[in-house]
Amino acid sequence: MQTSVIGRIALFGLPALVVLLAPTPSGSAEPSERIIRIEASSFAYKPALIAVAQGDHITIELVATDVVHGLHVDGYDLSVTADPGQTQRLTFVADRQGTFRIRCSVPCGPLHPFMIGKLKVGTNWLLWRAVALALLAAMAGVVGFRQ
Amino acid sequence: MNPERTARVLVFALALALPLGVLLTRWAGIPRQGGEWIEIHGRMSDDGGWTPDEITVDVGEVLHLRLTSDDVVHGFAIGQSNFEAVDVMPGEVTQATVTLEQPGRYVFYCTRWCGVNHWRMRGTIDVRGETSEPDTAMSPLYQSLGIDLEAPHPADVAPPDDPPSSHRGANLGVPIPDRFLTAAYYRAHSPGETWHSLRAEAAAHQLTDEEVWDLVALVWASNATPSAIEEGGRLYASNCAACHGERGAGDGVMARALANGAAARLEDRDPSPANFTDAVQMLGATPALLQGKIIRGGMGTGMPNWGPILTDAETWALVAYLWRFQFGPANTGPDTAR
Repeated sequence: MQTSVIGRIALFGLPALVVLLAPTPSGSAEPSERIIRIEASSFAYKPALIAVAQGDHITIELVATDVVHGLHVDGYDLSVTADPGQTQRLTFVADRQGTFRIRCSVPCGPLHPFMIGKLKVGTNWLLWRAVALALLAAMAGVVGFRQ
Repeated sequence: MNPERTARVLVFALALALPLGVLLTRWAGIPRQGGEWIEIHGRMSDDGGWTPDEITVDVGEVLHLRLTSDDVVHGFAIGQSNFEAVDVMPGEVTQATVTLEQPGRYVFYCTRWCGVNHWRMRGTIDVRGETSEPDTAMSPLYQSLGIDLEAPHPADVAPPDDPPSSHRGANLGVPIPDRFLTAAYYRAHSPGETWHSLRAEAAAHQLTDEEVWDLVALVWASNATPSAIEEGGRLYASNCAACHGERGAGDGVMARALANGAAARLEDRDPSPANFTDAVQMLGATPALLQGKIIRGGMGTGMPNWGPILTDAETWALVAYLWRFQFGPANTGPDTAR
């Protein structure tokens, strides 16, 4: 009985520790130069979701196609404003990992508060760790139930 | 006198005087010099434009404006005046003071693109007063030259593959007769006509057709100062690029909306903005024709009339900038390194 408890701890506890504490693989690829064109019109960004790798050099080209729009990246605290016909560029290094809200920074009409997008920088390791831990817990539960 | 009666009168007077005094001081505190504040609301032109859109003042009278927007970002400027444009933001009040010294009718307009009908957002300021001198406003050059703005104007010659370059033209070292180098010549002739005239010159006998085009580019560049091109570029970016495209190809962000707009439905005309990179159309156009189109607008398209807004110098600066889409950056000096 004692041995099986130790065995079970070894079987599930150790992988759980590994999942929790393993360092994130960082800087696997060279940071790349990315130019992303975002069209802003009628309270929407196109594309609204930008996924980049951590450390990438990002240039966002903001093109407003109806009225004056802005673009503010939460977390990075960067802003740019574009008039129709005047493409504006925002250059920065995506050094902070995570998911950040993009919002319009210029009042552009009644639905302005809902003009949002997302900037995803790097892999969401927190999510994958949580998924792995949940799987391990489920397996542990199944094994425990059988015995 | 009954002391009680005196006290009553005193209390009554006090009760009356206090609120009246407060009202009087507030009334006196309002700035009165040169008239009251005029509150102007901006809305997208499909939704009403400026309210009010007609203002009347006396010449030299100080005009106090309180500007605000009811929907999106607008701007406020007065055409043909040196009033510095201000932004008009929703939920904020922008105060501006302006004095118009010349009598006449001024047009105020929106300076930040607020939709496909942004340019329709205009209003007028009537400045009353005795005209000190007779109205010397000249008729635009296209009228005195008798140019028909509606007529097609294709060039019968076009340069081969490479765009002409004033820089190469300057390096040829071929003297250009003085009569080609005046502003009057430049404004009244198209590059195509100039090419034919230069081709017939004795000095250009040895040159290839392409090199003659480089000379044409040199003639055009010699009529544009760097500051004019810079100002033209600024005007182009803020007023024209939304439809004509940042690179002049007629593919601006509003071009799609124009194709579906009222002008396209009502009139049997192509409503798409002019393409300044189209060599056949541009090389057949005279600067006076381009200026006329800018001043008068129309053409059955959504082209605004910039006449009441841009000064004469500004329209010529804009025309000078438009030629960049054909001839590239103006560079009249020969290479000193050679």
